[in-house]
Amino acid sequence: MDLSSRNILWRIVALIVGGIFIYAGVIKAMDPVAFANDIDNYKILPWPLAVRLAFYLPWLEMLCGLALLLRSFYRGGLFILTGLVSIFIIASVVARARGLDITCGCFGHASKNWNFSGHLALDLAIFAALIALWISSPRQQQEL
Amino acid sequence: MNTNFSRLIGVLALAALVQSARAELKWEQTSVDLRPAFNDKQAVAHFKYENVGNTPVHFKSVHASCGCTTAQTQNEQVAPGQKGEITATFNIGGRTGTQVKTVTVQTDDPERSSIVLTLKAVITPLLEFQPTLVYWQNGEEPKPKIITAKANKDAAIKKLDVSSSTPDFTAKVDPGSAPNEFRISVQPRDTTKAVYATLTIKPDSPANTGDMFSAAARVMPSAPASKSTLSTIRHDLATPAATAASPSQ
Amino acid sequence: MKASAVRQALLLIALAFVPAIGEAIYFRDKVSWQSPIPASELVTIDQARSWGDNVIWVDARADNEFERDHIPGAILLNEDRWNELLPHFLGQWSPERKIIVYCSAQSCNASREVAKRLRDEAQLKNVFVLDGGWEEWLKDKR
Repeated sequence: MDLSSRNILWRIVALIVGGIFIYAGVIKAMDPVAFANDIDNYKILPWPLAVRLAFYLPWLEMLCGLALLLRSFYRGGLFILTGLVSIFIIASVVARARGLDITCGCFGHASKNWNFSGHLALDLAIFAALIALWISSPRQQQEL
Repeated sequence: MNTNFSRLIGVLALAALVQSARAELKWEQTSVDLRPAFNDKQAVAHFKYENVGNTPVHFKSVHASCGCTTAQTQNEQVAPGQKGEITATFNIGGRTGTQVKTVTVQTDDPERSSIVLTLKAVITPLLEFQPTLVYWQNGEEPKPKIITAKANKDAAIKKLDVSSSTPDFTAKVDPGSAPNEFRISVQPRDTTKAVYATLTIKPDSPANTGDMFSAAARVMPSAPASKSTLSTIRHDLATPAATAASPSQ
Repeated sequence: MKASAVRQALLLIALAFVPAIGEAIYFRDKVSWQSPIPASELVTIDQARSWGDNVIWVDARADNEFERDHIPGAILLNEDRWNELLPHFLGQWSPERKIIVYCSAQSCNASREVAKRLRDEAQLKNVFVLDGGWEEWLKDKR
């Protein structure tokens, strides 16, 4: 019983995290130019790369979010999302240290008015959830 | 938070200053963060210094990065052991958001002849509008368009009074979807002739400084001659008469 | 276990290309692929000249600098008196004209700031910043 209620807990966490990434992906896919500008603001990548990434990333996010929801390609999805979130957290901190005034862009222009620490806290929470899901997954691994 | 990062940078800068101990002029902070209230016209930063060397230091020049900031030093010459400050006064004007202004100080200290003092002010205005211009094309349906007004939450604005400079536009205010938000609905009487009006917006805040807030509403003039000629030609080609005539090839 | 996660990841990465390329084709003409649509777009004095009468000049400098001398026909719009000056500018603007904001090399952040505010707050398109500013105009004056 303990195992299955824990399973349900992880299922719910996976649903929430997957949902967040699908939502974030959809918002960014709707306005790729705005997302390209947001990536460009970090001044890490050259524009041609930033704009191509802006078209690609949202779909990857959506697919990985879906992977979490449908439990298909589950660990692959977790792997990618963890990587994405880590890169993003590092990029945000670096940008902040450089004094750049960044509009996150992760939740589209809806999150335009959030402050830096609010964003960072949310991202770290998502990162923690992803790690937790990864660690808990071998017990429920369904080969796909 | 904003402040923590700049404090960190400030501490690191201070540490760097201590390392190069041969510098004679020691600054308490070379970067100051300010959060002026919405009804402040100026933001003032105090950069305190102390001459910890044993020769006097002379300020050759104190120069701000923009005309909106004035900087003054208490004393031109700082004797050993003497303390003082450079006061930077930033005139906010109509600026909003994060503003960074610098003051460059030139001294006769050969080790550090030029020091940059940074004033960072985060300005939250009393009212912000999005957009500040609503317009209709000539002939466009005169449906109302919305200007969203966001009020500074510290001002506790309950009501906005909006008036148009000409009777060609009417404006009405409704509460917005979030607290401290208002929806200003602007509508032209008709869109057949070019009109321009300034919308004057007065908040009822008790702390109202009497500042003028304005947005603009316009009906644009009709399209230039060349454009309408082209569309007339296209229209003619599309009419049944033309299509009936052409098939006989 | 690890290997299958990597394989799954690679498959997801490959799969994501399909809708991404589809979207890129859809937006193909609406995006600047090579250079950024810059937050403040620079134009050179020569480009500005080629636009001829279609330009509205905006002076972002302080009042006294404007009074001393300015580009003929330029409208003063600085941040010091933004709320006062903005409506006057908006009355002059029209969508077909190109806006070029300039300031002096010293206070040159001002032109970028003003351009940005015109784009963000008034939602105007075709807002540019003069490369080299007022000094460039003086050099080029005929």
